[in-house]
Order: sequence, then C-alpha cells, then structure tokens
Amino acid sequence: MILPAEWITPGLVLLALALGLAYRFLGGRGHRVRKSEAIDLKKLGATRDGLPVKVFGKKATLLQFSAEYCAICPGVSRAFGKLEYRYGNLKHIEVDITNRLDLAAHFNINQTPTTFLLNEKGEIVFRVSGAPKLDLLTKELEKLGVK
Amino acid sequence: MTELKRIDPRGPRFGAAITSVFAILALNFSLTTSWFYAWVILWVLLALFAWSVFLPSASHPYNIIFRKLIRPRLSEPKELEDPRPPHFAQKVGLSFAVFGVVSGFVFPPGVQLAAIFIFLASFLNAFFGLCLGCQMYLGLKRLGIIRG
Repeated sequence: MILPAEWITPGLVLLALALGLAYRFLGGRGHRVRKSEAIDLKKLGATRDGLPVKVFGKKATLLQFSAEYCAICPGVSRAFGKLEYRYGNLKHIEVDITNRLDLAAHFNINQTPTTFLLNEKGEIVFRVSGAPKLDLLTKELEKLGVK
Repeated sequence: MTELKRIDPRGPRFGAAITSVFAILALNFSLTTSWFYAWVILWVLLALFAWSVFLPSASHPYNIIFRKLIRPRLSEPKELEDPRPPHFAQKVGLSFAVFGVVSGFVFPPGVQLAAIFIFLASFLNAFFGLCLGCQMYLGLKRLGIIRG
C-alpha cells in the first residue's frame, strides 16, 4: 500500500469530489477543430419532425449526437432548441446514434451528447463532448456571424 | 417495457446517494476491520441493484423512501426524465456488485475494488448528476462489450 489504510477512505472521497468538480467546471468547454470536414447530410440521414434534413442553418448549425441511454441529452436538446429560436440563422439537428455505430466510428464519438458546430458550408469548426457550457458555445456561434 | 412513464430525476440521485454511503462503508470496513463485512454490504447492494433491474421500480425501497419522505418536502421537479438511462445505470451497478460478490469467494481484494467503483459512480451521480455508465454507453457499445 502506498497510503496508510486510514487515509484511503477520506482520500477516495476527496478524489470523487475532485473528479466531480473537474467534470462540472472543465467539462463541456469544447475545442476548435483544425482539419475540418464537411458534413454530408445524405449520409448523416438526420430527420426532423419526420422529414429528412436537407439544408444547413443559414450561418451555423448545431449538430447534436444523442443516444438512447443518455440522461442529459434531452436537456441539451431543449437548450439548443431555445438557441435556435433566439437566433434565426442557426439550425439545430439531432441524430440518435444508438444504432448508427458507423457514424460514431467515423467521427470518433465515444460519449453522448457530442455536439459539432458547423459553419454555413456545413464544415465542422468546433466540437463539444458532454453538456456544453452555453456561454462559451454562444461566443463560438457569434464568431460564425450568428445573431 | 412498460416503464416509459417519465420520472423525477431526483429519485435516482437520492438512491445513488444511499448507495454511495453503503459503498464507502464497505470500503472502510474492508480497510479497518475485515473484508468480510464489506462483502456482506456488497451482497446488500447486489440485492438492491438486482431489485431495480428486475422488479418494478415502484416497489424498490429507495423509491418508497423517496416517494413517502423526500419528495413531499421538495418543490415540483423542473423537468421529468426518461427512466431508461438510470435503469441502465442500475445494470452497470449490478455488474460491479456481481463482480464484488463473486470476488469474495475467490479473490477478496476484488471486493474492495468493486466497493471503490460503486462508490465513485454513485457519488458522482448523486452529487454532480454525472451518470458514468450513460456517458460510457456508446463507447462500451463501440467496443462490443454490450449489445443493444
């Protein structure tokens, strides 16, 4: 043992606290994507209200990947819905990848939600894993000319 | 499944808080007195996880305590959630508990390991709303560990 036995229990509680705080404050910040790739809407196969999605948002698109067993995905989806309502030239697309492991493999998605911010051409410019920090994401949206 | 009724998200988190207390007690017993007490607590956790995986959630002790004692003292939930992610999390917990209980027969340190994992997962769920199993679901599926 590296630690005396009586330190292990409080040590583990502290570790759990540290992990939780790191998750809360560092998670969902996202990062810019350098080697960008344009999304092919046909291959993506996203639908909205039962109809296939054929166009990107006028200035930007929030592409959200969700899964069946994702507790926070519906909340993130609602938050993006509100953003879309506030900014007319922004579009929100949600894709359930529970049974689309091809997409998960292609984009190397290991957790849900994962969100891609696309520019007007549909190229990925920003990527967030987990519940996004909305203030940071809004700044990235504004850089793309979303008003 | 008939459990598509949306649930108060604070219910599973309340349950996770109790689970985390059980798990940290188990770890502490295994370090200070005997790993055998930890093993007994893991049997209890195994039963509780199995209950929520295989039996109707309304009959679960955590659920009854939450409904009778906790929820009446809370304000209305801001939103209701899909019961499937927390149900999946219980399956993850059950697999750790099975690992711990089986370890007790062949490899006692495994009991400690299971207690540590169950504590971390339930603590993060209860106090930070982070569902580790749900976050990793896709990754596990991609690795082929779980079929869905």
